[in-house]
Amino acid sequence: MARVVVGKVSEIPPGERKIIVPFRGKAGVGVFNVAGTFYAVRNICPHKRGPLCTGELSGRFAADAPPSTEGARLSVDGLGEVLRCPWHQWTFDIATGQCRVDATLRVATYPVKIDGDDVVVEYDG
Amino acid sequence: MSQLGATPVTAPGWTAKPKNGMAIVDCDVHHNFRNPTQLLPYLSKFYQEHLLDQGLHLGGYPNIPIRSNRVDLKGRLKMEERPEDKDTGGDPRDFNFTLEFLQTEHLDRWHVDVALLTGPPPFYGYSGLPDPDWAAALCRAFNDWTIAHWLERDARVFNAILVSPSDPPQAVEEINRLAARKDTVAVMVPMGTSRPFGNRFYHPIWAACEEHGLPVVSHIGGGGGATRTTPTPVGHPTYYMETRMSRPYVASTHATSLICEGVFEKFPNLKFALIEAQQLWAVSVMWHLDTDWKALRDQTPWVKRLPSEYFREHIRIGSQPMHEPERPEQMYQMLDMLHADETLIFCSDFPHFDWNDPVTVFPKLSDDLHHRIFAQNALDILRMP
Repeated sequence: MARVVVGKVSEIPPGERKIIVPFRGKAGVGVFNVAGTFYAVRNICPHKRGPLCTGELSGRFAADAPPSTEGARLSVDGLGEVLRCPWHQWTFDIATGQCRVDATLRVATYPVKIDGDDVVVEYDG
Repeated sequence: MSQLGATPVTAPGWTAKPKNGMAIVDCDVHHNFRNPTQLLPYLSKFYQEHLLDQGLHLGGYPNIPIRSNRVDLKGRLKMEERPEDKDTGGDPRDFNFTLEFLQTEHLDRWHVDVALLTGPPPFYGYSGLPDPDWAAALCRAFNDWTIAHWLERDARVFNAILVSPSDPPQAVEEINRLAARKDTVAVMVPMGTSRPFGNRFYHPIWAACEEHGLPVVSHIGGGGGATRTTPTPVGHPTYYMETRMSRPYVASTHATSLICEGVFEKFPNLKFALIEAQQLWAVSVMWHLDTDWKALRDQTPWVKRLPSEYFREHIRIGSQPMHEPERPEQMYQMLDMLHADETLIFCSDFPHFDWNDPVTVFPKLSDDLHHRIFAQNALDILRMP
């Protein structure tokens, strides 16, 4: 298990991110603070290899029925928990790396530990 | 089935042979009156006078050629086979015939097992009439004329009842009026409309179709105006050929609208056939809409699945006029891309000049694919008794 100290906790407040390059290759990794919980996501979109972690944060848009249906509920939750690739707008859940528009795609994620003031990303290898 | 007449040649190297003993369901057989006065017995007193006083007011085919029907058929049509219209004169582009003529020239000749009557395309102009009540009255009258002259006399002949999209409550009323008939197996709405079909304005019609288990069979045509061709997003084309080439845009706009507005989430058992609007556009819609959905789905989160999944489950494409590609193998490639085993339904467009006969329209197909395209795909959506 390799450990990489990517920065101090104070560098990445909630809603912010830090991209570390290189990290296991030239693309790097994005470390996100989502409401106090840290996640690390590989900075390559599995769709067309765009710089995923430079994209905008988003949420989960949902509808229980088309809006022409009486009583249809349209919602968005989890704002800040979804990452949108800047190249083609595909969205990913930051916590799991799961692509939200293609069930077969997932971006690599890594465990993040807080060690004192250090933010530490771990990976096998 | 024996080979009839000269060996038809569709493209060099094609050697299609009839498939003996395999069913044919023809989802586009046009029947027509020759003179609108034939509708008089089926109109209310008010609309009888309206017709006599003001005429049909239909438009939409200002530049269709005079030979828009098969000339060979016209030559074989005896006057006694169209007893309703002696001495009526009229537009030579109009072509009407009796059930007996249809039997001889089409159903028997090509061994058609099921024929879906779709009415005359020039009549589809009702969908563009400024007066929605006149449009609804014409649909009622035409349906009743069809019942009186075409149905219940041949077990192969079924009806796609005409309804007008311009006033959904009256369309629903007409569907409810005729849904109980065994020969009502589909609902015909022309593609020429003022809004794309996914718009909630039309949802009452789709709800009624779903309630009765009737698919929508939408034929190109209608809309437009008395002197103008069907509009495109960039204006009105000049010549008839151009108008024909605008059909894929019309069909793809309707299909895309149905998917994006969530019609198939709202009406999960609704089936929707788009006929006489070509085929390859459907490949483009499925592919490109899937790509766009992945980027843009947050705008329409009620579209829960890939658009192509809704397309393949709910939308059907008429086989006529079938593309005639440069090389026969390209036909197989297109059928594969179209998921033709699910989406394609055979349409002859009898008796028009651009019709497709069931023998030469495709190169040799596997028995299974042949059966899907020529029969089963249609039987799966039509409300057969």
